[in-house]
Amino acid sequence: MASVKLSNVWKMYGQTEAVRDLNLTCADGEFLCVLGPSGCGKSSTLRMLAGLEHISAGDIYFGDKRVNDLPPKDRDIAMVFENYALYPHKTVYENIANSLRLRRMDKALIDQKVKKAAAMLEIEPLLDRRPAELSGGQKQRTAIGRAIVREPQLFLFDEPIAHLDAKLRAHMRGELKIMQRDLGTTMIYVTHDQLEALSMADHVAVMHEGVLQQFGTPHEIYSQPVNEWVAGFIGEPPMNFVDCEMVEEGGSLCLTHPHFTQVLTEAQAAIVRAKDPAGQRQVRLGVRPDEIAVLAEALDEGIKARVLVTEPLGGDMLVDLALGDSKLLAKTKPDFAGQRGDECSLTFDRNRWHVFDRASGLAYF
Amino acid sequence: MASSDVVQYRSPARRLVEILTVVFLAVYLVWTVLPLFIMFVSSFKDLLEAFKLPPTGDWAGAWVFFDFTPTVQHYVDLFADNNFGTYLANSIIASLGSALISVVFGAMAAYSLSRIEFRGKRDLFFWIISTRMAPVVAVMVPLYAIFRGAGLVGTLPGLILAYTTFNLPFAIWILKGFFDNVPYAIEEAAMCDGCTRFQAFREILPLVAPGIGAFLVLCVLFAWNDFLFASIIGSGGAKTLPVATKELVQPQNIQWGKIMAAGVVTTAPMMFLGLLIRRYLVTGLTMGAVRE
Repeated sequence: MASVKLSNVWKMYGQTEAVRDLNLTCADGEFLCVLGPSGCGKSSTLRMLAGLEHISAGDIYFGDKRVNDLPPKDRDIAMVFENYALYPHKTVYENIANSLRLRRMDKALIDQKVKKAAAMLEIEPLLDRRPAELSGGQKQRTAIGRAIVREPQLFLFDEPIAHLDAKLRAHMRGELKIMQRDLGTTMIYVTHDQLEALSMADHVAVMHEGVLQQFGTPHEIYSQPVNEWVAGFIGEPPMNFVDCEMVEEGGSLCLTHPHFTQVLTEAQAAIVRAKDPAGQRQVRLGVRPDEIAVLAEALDEGIKARVLVTEPLGGDMLVDLALGDSKLLAKTKPDFAGQRGDECSLTFDRNRWHVFDRASGLAYF
Repeated sequence: MASSDVVQYRSPARRLVEILTVVFLAVYLVWTVLPLFIMFVSSFKDLLEAFKLPPTGDWAGAWVFFDFTPTVQHYVDLFADNNFGTYLANSIIASLGSALISVVFGAMAAYSLSRIEFRGKRDLFFWIISTRMAPVVAVMVPLYAIFRGAGLVGTLPGLILAYTTFNLPFAIWILKGFFDNVPYAIEEAAMCDGCTRFQAFREILPLVAPGIGAFLVLCVLFAWNDFLFASIIGSGGAKTLPVATKELVQPQNIQWGKIMAAGVVTTAPMMFLGLLIRRYLVTGLTMGAVRE
């Protein structure tokens, strides 16, 4: 087991900066997810950790040991690849046993370890098959089996369940989390799927265009996004953004929009004033769909909007709303009665909304 | 599941094409197989029987072709008087030796060219292929001079080296295509498993086995059937079957029986090899071309 530390790490491909000045730490035994859209540098980061890519600048430490110049075989890591990368000419057993055979481990001991891993992953009946005869889920289990028999100090998982069907993916999320907790091995897990990151990780590192945007617990990432990009990336359906002006009115701070005026709470106003004492502020209001309450009738005190379309999802209902020129998405109960074209009224959850500076994208709160 | 067959509908034109195809194949079969058949049968005839011909136009007389007493005398003579045992061994050593050397170095070079980026890689690759563009005869004289200077003329190592000169670029060219088709991730997985780069290379060799197999056969065929190198570089100490056969043609005495027998001895091993690995060879030659 080991902690992992990336210190001012850069990765350049020619002139392209894939990873920019990345600082990250992952405590011993922790489950860290690196989350971001494709091309954000998350896979490059993982490959640098594995030793499959050179580090352009900066240092990577496993525990106290600087590993920059160690080849993959000397780093004591196990990696699971997005496309599984099983040896096509070897059976499941041989695939799993390969790393142990390379270490010239005793045959009986190898057999015992392979059987144990296979039992844990429920692939015992498949040990004599070759990868071509396996389903996607079985291949993925084999790839994980190959990683866990190593008993490495660090697991590196590169979108291991991205290619499974939705149901199996949901199942594997739980299993992977249980497995990691049982083994207690440090795990760095790369994914573009926020659901995987939020549901499994102890800490999430959100990356965008090679830059670490935010590092925190899943709860922090979701409820306190540091900037507009993270706020928009995390959450499904995504957060609504509405351009507003922030003005002082009778001792309190208000958000004004052609169709509404909303007052910030005292605490929120204090944060804004402390961060940025200037008067006139161009801001963007961010509200998640489930933080908008919609009533099918037009009340005087609510914000008036028009229903564009409703999307019943079984347990919930998504309502597309027009608020002047802007569009909003709200998540309500399935019994919402509004129809296309109906007037309705909205209330925002003042305690959970977010306000971002329009120019820099940084969050006030 | 959809069938992959192309749907064809019967029409008079189609029928005609079918008949013509069968006729063409029949003629082609006679054209290609008959000489081999005559060679095979004649190698068991004595000289008089071999030249027994019916009068022109007498088709019924064709049966005299089969009217003979079989003899293995020519084969016995070849191996007893003409040292064909040695020549056969030379042929085997030269062709297998060059094929093995080419495949070992070719695989390593092809792997590097497939996996590693370096400046001038495309030029290097083109240069390697270009050595196969000139006809062999064009380089024969300078090659001979070099080999003579190095004392390699008339030796088996010399002959192996000569064949390797021409097989190696071919090996690199063919095998690079096969390595290109192997996903990087498998080697990366191997390296994470604890392999060095070289062990990872060995780990993916089974994946290019069809290519290596196909290439080995082509190399063996090239060296086995070669006459030019064998007669010039190999003349003297490293005589191979084709050269030895040629020497059976003497100004006053063309030993047809022995020539036929030598032809069978030369042809038969390659035919068996071809039959043995036929399926392997076809998948090998087509696989490298298709990206998955």
